[in-house]
Amino acid sequence: MSVSVERPSAVTADDLARSAVAGKHRGNRFKTVTGAICTLVVVIPVALAQVLPIPDPDQQDLSQRRLPPLTDGHLFGTDALGRDLLSLVLHGGQVSIAIGLLAVTVSGLIGILAGSAAGFFGGWVDTAVSRLLEAQMSLPLLMMLLLVVALFGPSLPVITLVIAIAQWPEVARLTRSLVLVEREKPYVAAAQVLGLRRLQILSQHVLPNVIRPASLVVLLLLAQAVLLESALSYLGAGPQRPFATWGRIISDGQNYITTSWWLVTLPGLVIVLLVVGVNLLGDGVRDRVRRRKVVQS
Amino acid sequence: MSRRPQLPPLTKYAGKRLTQSVLTVFLTVSTVFVLIRLAPGDPARAYAGPFATNEQLAEVRERFGLDQSILSQYWTFLTGLFQGDLGTSFSYQDSALSVVLDRMPYTITLATSAILLTTIVSVPLGVWMARHADSRRELGANVLTVAGQSMPEFWTGVMLLTLFAVLVPILPASGFTTWGGLVLPTVTVAILQIALISRMVRREMVNNFASPYLTVARSRGVGERALTWQYAMGNAAVPVITALGTRFAALLNGVVVVEVVFAWPGVGSLVVRALETRDYPLIVATVLVTSVLSVTVQLLIDLLYPLLDPRVRLGKATS
Amino acid sequence: MKLLEVEDLQIELMTEAGVVRAVDGVSFCVGEGETVTLIGESGSGKSTTAMGVLRLLPAGLAVLSGRVELAGKDVIADPDSIVDVRGRSVSLIPQDPMTALNPVFTVGRQLAGAVRTRHPELSRSQARDRAAELLDSVHIPDPSAQLRKYPHQLSGGMLQRILIAIALAGEPRLLVADEPTSALDVTVQAGVLDLLLELQERTRIGILMITHDLGVARVVSDRIHVMKAGRFTESGEVEDIVERPQTEYTRKLLAAIPQLDAPSTTAPETPAGQNVPKQESPTPAPPAEAPAASPAEPTATTLKPEDARRPAGATGLSAVPGTATTATTAARPEGARP
Repeated sequence: MSVSVERPSAVTADDLARSAVAGKHRGNRFKTVTGAICTLVVVIPVALAQVLPIPDPDQQDLSQRRLPPLTDGHLFGTDALGRDLLSLVLHGGQVSIAIGLLAVTVSGLIGILAGSAAGFFGGWVDTAVSRLLEAQMSLPLLMMLLLVVALFGPSLPVITLVIAIAQWPEVARLTRSLVLVEREKPYVAAAQVLGLRRLQILSQHVLPNVIRPASLVVLLLLAQAVLLESALSYLGAGPQRPFATWGRIISDGQNYITTSWWLVTLPGLVIVLLVVGVNLLGDGVRDRVRRRKVVQS
Repeated sequence: MSRRPQLPPLTKYAGKRLTQSVLTVFLTVSTVFVLIRLAPGDPARAYAGPFATNEQLAEVRERFGLDQSILSQYWTFLTGLFQGDLGTSFSYQDSALSVVLDRMPYTITLATSAILLTTIVSVPLGVWMARHADSRRELGANVLTVAGQSMPEFWTGVMLLTLFAVLVPILPASGFTTWGGLVLPTVTVAILQIALISRMVRREMVNNFASPYLTVARSRGVGERALTWQYAMGNAAVPVITALGTRFAALLNGVVVVEVVFAWPGVGSLVVRALETRDYPLIVATVLVTSVLSVTVQLLIDLLYPLLDPRVRLGKATS
Repeated sequence: MKLLEVEDLQIELMTEAGVVRAVDGVSFCVGEGETVTLIGESGSGKSTTAMGVLRLLPAGLAVLSGRVELAGKDVIADPDSIVDVRGRSVSLIPQDPMTALNPVFTVGRQLAGAVRTRHPELSRSQARDRAAELLDSVHIPDPSAQLRKYPHQLSGGMLQRILIAIALAGEPRLLVADEPTSALDVTVQAGVLDLLLELQERTRIGILMITHDLGVARVVSDRIHVMKAGRFTESGEVEDIVERPQTEYTRKLLAAIPQLDAPSTTAPETPAGQNVPKQESPTPAPPAEAPAASPAEPTATTLKPEDARRPAGATGLSAVPGTATTATTAARPEGARP
């Protein structure tokens, strides 16, 4: 585009600041940066829980029960058994996040497999997967999950699997729609002409193009997994002791809500901080990717 | 034109949706059956609970015909359900079905009031966000909706309880004795729903604001208010109402966490109690009743759909 | 009197790629009963000019400068004044009729709405009667039945006629026609163009025509401005531009469409029927791909004025009911164009 220099531009800095493009940039930058900060503020201390100079989470001291925050070197105060709340939260976070990561990996695998098969092969495969997705949407999911945990026991594998089952539809639906678009592209037809088998085309050509955008939802799913795990724990269907996850800490603290506000408020804030951070980060990154695509085309 | 006599598109659509709903309920029933069979240990004991007497165990074995083949067990299970026989609750010593039905009105009340609050707040909020999309003020609202999506309900619930029932005791903390007791649970449930729906309203409205028909309507002098509330909203209404209906159906499926926080006497807190006491007949009954109810709501919403969208109602005439 | 005066209009778009000057200082005017055409390739800034004149570009996207006087009001100096002008002094005929109407309202509701924007004093039933009259004036058969239909139930050609009727509801002095035929089937294009010309004859309305198709431009225009990269490269009377193009760009544009001054001997070889590719190509194809008869000869498309009129002239048809074949060609004597 040849823009002449002779005619002065009428676009003022104010116009630019108020333009839709600048607004989107500003929004995305804000979301990405804030999201990253919130996430890291939680994730780094949780990851470093073992090396930070905080008391052991199991170290009880009945003379120091329910101390409010910032007393005697307890940043978050202590719980009903005199354990350091910060230490409990950080160690519990390791379990919560680990379960989340595991669950997302499993649901990602199931979702991508089912979704891409449905999108690529169509026909009865698609019908079956789509019906299953629809059905799961209208099932009383949380009750089913509670039932499963009740039947099979609240072990870590069961809880991970339960969360994964709750989440696979999201990945499957996205993958399916991405594959449907990808399937119509010329290179797929070309590969068919070359005589490649359909499974080969799917696994070697279509999937690599789909996985990157599909993996974006993983961030958001991780946030949901942490929420779901904490809800299960809160309802008593979370991992049993010695794993003190975030939901369990809050559930235990609820009994002291009138006298010791921090037992619920602070662990909850940590969850909120992490999930808000991950959600904002996901939002910002997704918009950025979408925009880049628009510019390319 | 096909030679077959054509059913009206609406009838065909309704028939298809009805079949889907029946299938979904069937799938739920089957899943529950399979889960109970898959559970480790004696299924009769798993079903009857650890406190079951030998007579009860024998009764359960006989009822489910555990000595018979798995298929005929499945058949017995199904026919039992269709006759409304969902077993007897151990902890209540009453028909599981009637225990669940007694609790249902409370859950329906909470779900209804929450979805009303959601509609009242999220539609104007979403429209406002769309009209000011990408401005600084809107970014603030946008981040708030992300926060609304990110707060665990049990935490918001407990926080609201602390604020309005403990620190500033103006509202009852739990149970449903006065209508004031409805306020805190409703708000807690609605926060997440408002966050979800207002973002959806925003997205739909932004898309409609950018669509050619709106520009053309603006070019012929249609005012901004009519463009927003009649034109764009008229088009956004269909997906938004569908989403609200889906959320309502989901809430009927159990506002489990919030009911537990506020000791709300609905099916959610019932199911958690049933799980603690291993009251399997009660769990099965709850799962079935809630899923039938929410599938029905979903079906009604989908049948409403053609009334809202002429493109679905009248089909394509020329193409 | 000038209906539209544009002076030094500059439109800058704030895009991902930075500030893009889409329209770079153009000046033109449209008078009563005149058709002025902006022609150029896609991306030349012609549609942006039209949208800018009507102030339909979002504020967060475009910055306008210069002077645009619409019905005596400077809509750039006073952006709010456009509200008094739209749907009264000026109307738009949009590019793609299939997406230009609200899909959840009936055609009648939208048309009656436009009538009542202009005449708020009319009752609903009066507005409805007026709407039916307007549909009749754009040669739509059985107007009251069409009013009850939704946009998706009508064909593209029919919708474009309805959009013209909606545009006319405001009794405007100026029509801005943004590629009014390019989304339509070739057979329908001629009918729509003829309708516009007929209306102009009747009401002395001014038309600002935007097109990429010199065939269209030649049929309808008084003056043509050839646009490239946001500027006018050449301006003048229609004959001058077509017969004595001054710039290489215009010559290329001319070469890109079927030869207009084809020897008359080719005409009988291309019967009207052959020029009607059944809903295949929505735009007149470039010569290399032209589906018509003789590949060696520069063949005609329906947009060649002579061809466009011939079937109508021969049969005397004014409107053919049906979906894609509404190729009315209101009797307008050959060469009536000044």
